[in-house]
Amino acid sequence: MAESDDEYVQDISDDEVEAHQVTRSAGTGSRATGQGSRGAGWEVTRTWENVVEGADGTISSTVEGLLEAGKRKRLLKDTTPLQRGIIRHLLLVLDLSTAMSEKDLRPSRYLLTLRYTTAFIAEFFEQNPISQLGIIGTRDGLALTISPLSGNPNDHISNMQKLFEQEPKGQPSLQNALDMARAALFHAPAHTTREVLVLFGSLLSSDPDDIHATISALVSSHITVTIIGLAAQVAICLTLATRTNPLLPPSQTYNVALNEAHYRDLLMRATTPPTTSHSTTEDSGVKSSLLMMGFPSRIVDPSPTLCACHSRPTRGGYLCSRCSSKVCSLPTQCPACGLTLILSTHLARSYHHLFPLRNWREVSWARASVSSQKVCFGCQAPFPERPASLRRQSISGGQNHDRMSLATSESQLHPPKAAHISNANKDGVSESGRYECENCRRFFCIDCDVFAHEVVHNCPGCQSREGVLSFQTRKGGE
Amino acid sequence: MNAPPLSLLTIILDTNPHAWALLTPTLPLSAAIANLLVFINAHLAFNNSNKVAIIASHTQRAEFLYPVPSQDDSLQANGSAHNGAQNDLDGDAKMVDSDEGSGTAAGDDANHYRPFRHIQTILLSAISKLYKTTSSESLTPTTSIAGALTLALTYINKQSIALSTTTSSKTNADTFVAPSDPNLIQPATLNPRILILSVSGDLAHQYIPIMNTIFACQRLTIPIDICKIAGDSVFLQQASDATHGTYIALTHPRGLLQYLMLGFLPDQSSRKYLVPPTAVGVDFRAACFCHRKVVDVGFVCSICLSSKSGLSTVLCWNYSVRRRKAPHV
Ligand SMILES: [Zn+2]
Ligand SMILES: [Zn+2]
Ligand SMILES: [Zn+2]
Ligand SMILES: [Zn+2]
Repeated sequence: MAESDDEYVQDISDDEVEAHQVTRSAGTGSRATGQGSRGAGWEVTRTWENVVEGADGTISSTVEGLLEAGKRKRLLKDTTPLQRGIIRHLLLVLDLSTAMSEKDLRPSRYLLTLRYTTAFIAEFFEQNPISQLGIIGTRDGLALTISPLSGNPNDHISNMQKLFEQEPKGQPSLQNALDMARAALFHAPAHTTREVLVLFGSLLSSDPDDIHATISALVSSHITVTIIGLAAQVAICLTLATRTNPLLPPSQTYNVALNEAHYRDLLMRATTPPTTSHSTTEDSGVKSSLLMMGFPSRIVDPSPTLCACHSRPTRGGYLCSRCSSKVCSLPTQCPACGLTLILSTHLARSYHHLFPLRNWREVSWARASVSSQKVCFGCQAPFPERPASLRRQSISGGQNHDRMSLATSESQLHPPKAAHISNANKDGVSESGRYECENCRRFFCIDCDVFAHEVVHNCPGCQSREGVLSFQTRKGGE
Repeated sequence: MNAPPLSLLTIILDTNPHAWALLTPTLPLSAAIANLLVFINAHLAFNNSNKVAIIASHTQRAEFLYPVPSQDDSLQANGSAHNGAQNDLDGDAKMVDSDEGSGTAAGDDANHYRPFRHIQTILLSAISKLYKTTSSESLTPTTSIAGALTLALTYINKQSIALSTTTSSKTNADTFVAPSDPNLIQPATLNPRILILSVSGDLAHQYIPIMNTIFACQRLTIPIDICKIAGDSVFLQQASDATHGTYIALTHPRGLLQYLMLGFLPDQSSRKYLVPPTAVGVDFRAACFCHRKVVDVGFVCSICLSSKSGLSTVLCWNYSVRRRKAPHV
C-alpha cells in the first residue's frame, strides 16, 4: 500500500470518502447539508513534505555540524518564564483501529504506540507527580476506558499490558472518545488543567453524530485537545486542535509523526506542563488557587506500627505534618485529616518549568580569541583552537558555513538581549564550539550546553559566580 | 566493552573557611585533606581504571580542584594515568604510557606511586591557590554547594559521553529522546557517584538549584553520598535519600578517615551486597519562597508551586499571580 506516496494518498482518500459516507448514512440527516464543503475539508494533505525540508534543512552541511545543530535546535526554545498548569488532568486517547496495524512505523503503529505510551506514563508522572492521568481507547466505532483517571503510574502501566495481547480492529470514533474524555474530566477542579491527548493513526472517524457539536462542548468545558497523527494530517483533527487551543499555533497542538524518533519526541513533549492563563483569558479553564500541603518527614519506628492508609504494620513511613498519622508512601492525601502530603522533591521536579535556564549564546572566533578561557567551565574539556585556515574556509566553505558565520557576526552587533532573541530561529551552531551564558559570561562546550538545559536546568557558571547568590540570579534573570 | 566497570568518584569538598576554623580543635582542614587523600588513593587502588574528580564548594564559588586545566593538558593526563578504558575508545593514538602523561609531576619521591603523587600535588596546590585568592569580603558562612553539584554533574556527563561506545552526539540524542531511561544516558561501564564533605548548613537560598541537581542525579541514577562533618542541612539529607546515597553525620569528626573508608568506599555495584548505614529519619520539609524559611505545612500555589508559610504572604503572592502574566519575572 505504501510503495508510492501518491498512490497511497489516493487510496486513503478513497477509503476515506466511503467510510465517511457510511458514517453519514448511519448518522442523522442534518449532516447531508454540509456534504460538499466537508468532503473538501477531509482531504488529505501531505504535511511530511514541507516538514522534512523546513525543520531539518541542513542536509548539505557536514555530519558534525548537522548533529550539533540538531542538539542546539532542541535547546533554542522560548525561555521566558510562563505560568504553567503544574497540576494536570490528562486523558490519553489511543486509536486502536485497523489503521494502527500498519507497519510504516516499526514494528507496527500499534505496538510502537503501546510501547511509547508505557514510557510516556512513567515520564508523565516523573514530570507531573501531583497530576492525574487516564487512558481511553477507541475501536469498532466505540470508546472504551483502558485505565481510569488516577495518579498511580503502576496502575496505568499494568492496565496497558492487557492491550499488548489484543489486536487493533474496526474503525475509531473520535467523537465517542472525546465525549468519554469530557465526561471523565468533568469533575476536575478548576485549578487544574483539563487536557486530552489523542494518538490518531486513522484517516477517518466513524462518528454517531455531529462531531462539531462535541468540539463546541469541549471548548465550553475548557478542555484542550492536542493530537499526534501517525498517517497524515486530517482536517477534522486540525479543526479540533485549533478550536480547543485558540491561543496556540497549530504546530504546537497537531503534528503528524514523521518517523519513530519524531513520534517519541512529540509524545514526550506532552509531558511538559502546558502554559496557562494569558491575561486575555480570564475565563480559560485554569484558575490559580492556593493548596495547603504538608511536607512530612520520614520516620523509622523501632517496632512496627499500623499505618493509617492500609492498617498494615510497617516500620518506616511518613508522619502527616498536621495530625501525625503515619502513611506508607507519598504523594498521598492524609487518610485522617485530608491534607495533601507530598515530598518537597516532588514539587521541585517542576521548578525548572517555572524558572527555565536561558539559552546560551554562540561565540564567534573573534570573541573566543580575546577570552582567556581555554577549557569548558563545566567539564574542563579543552576547547578547539582557532584554525589557521579559518578565513579561507569561510569563503569557499559553501552556503551553510557562510550562513553560520553571518549569524554569529550578526549576533555580535546586537546587544546581548536582542541577540538572544534573534538567534532563536537560526541553526545555532557556534563556529568556535563555545557557548556563552549571558549571565556569568562563561564559555561551555556543546555537551555541557545540552546537559545544562535538558537535564540539570542550572548554569554551572551562575551557580558558582563570586558574589552572586544563585537564587537571585535566576529570579532576576529578565 | 570488556573493560572492568570503572567508578568515577566526584568529591565535593566544602571549603568554607569559617566552618573549618570552627572545626580546627577537632579536625583541622590539613588533617581532613590528608585523610581525604588516603581515601582517594584507596579508591584509585581498588580498580586500575577508577577515576576521581575533586570540586571545592567555596564561600561564593565552586571550582575544580582536580583535574585542573594546565599547560600540559592535565585532563588527558588524568585519563591516561588512571584509566585504560578511555584509551581503548579513543583509539591507539592516546595509548601513551602513564609516565608520559604525568611526566612533569614525576620526580622527587621514587617511593610514591605516581598517580597518587600526581593527585596530591595538584590537589594541594589547588587548595592553597583557592585560599590565596579568597578575599575577605567573600567570607560568608554559606557555601555554593549547588554550583559544585552542577559542576560535578556536567563533568560526569562529559566523562560518560567520552566513555560510551557510541559517538558523543548519539548519546546526547538519546538523552533527549528517552530522558527517563537511565541506561541510555549512563553507559553501564561508568559508575559515577558524588560524595559531599559538608561542614556548613544554611542552604535555603540555593533551594531551587539544589533541587534541580538532586532531580538530575535521580534521573541519571547517580547517588549523592553525604559525609556531614559539621552543621546541619535539610536539603542534603533529602539529596542522599532521593538518590539512594549514604548519609552519615559524624559523631566524632576526628575519625573522618574511618568513616570514609567504611561508609563511602564501596561503589554502587558493591553496595548491593553490603548493609549501608542508613539515616534513621529524613527531614523532607520544603523552603518557603517568601522568607526562605524551612516549613512543614505550607500553601502551594497551584500554578507556580511556590510554597508559602503564612497567610499575609499568601495574599500578596496571590495578588501578584492574578495581576501579572508571569509572577516570577
Ligand atoms: Zn499504608
Ligand atoms: Zn493528617
Ligand atoms: Zn563542557
Ligand atoms: Zn551562567
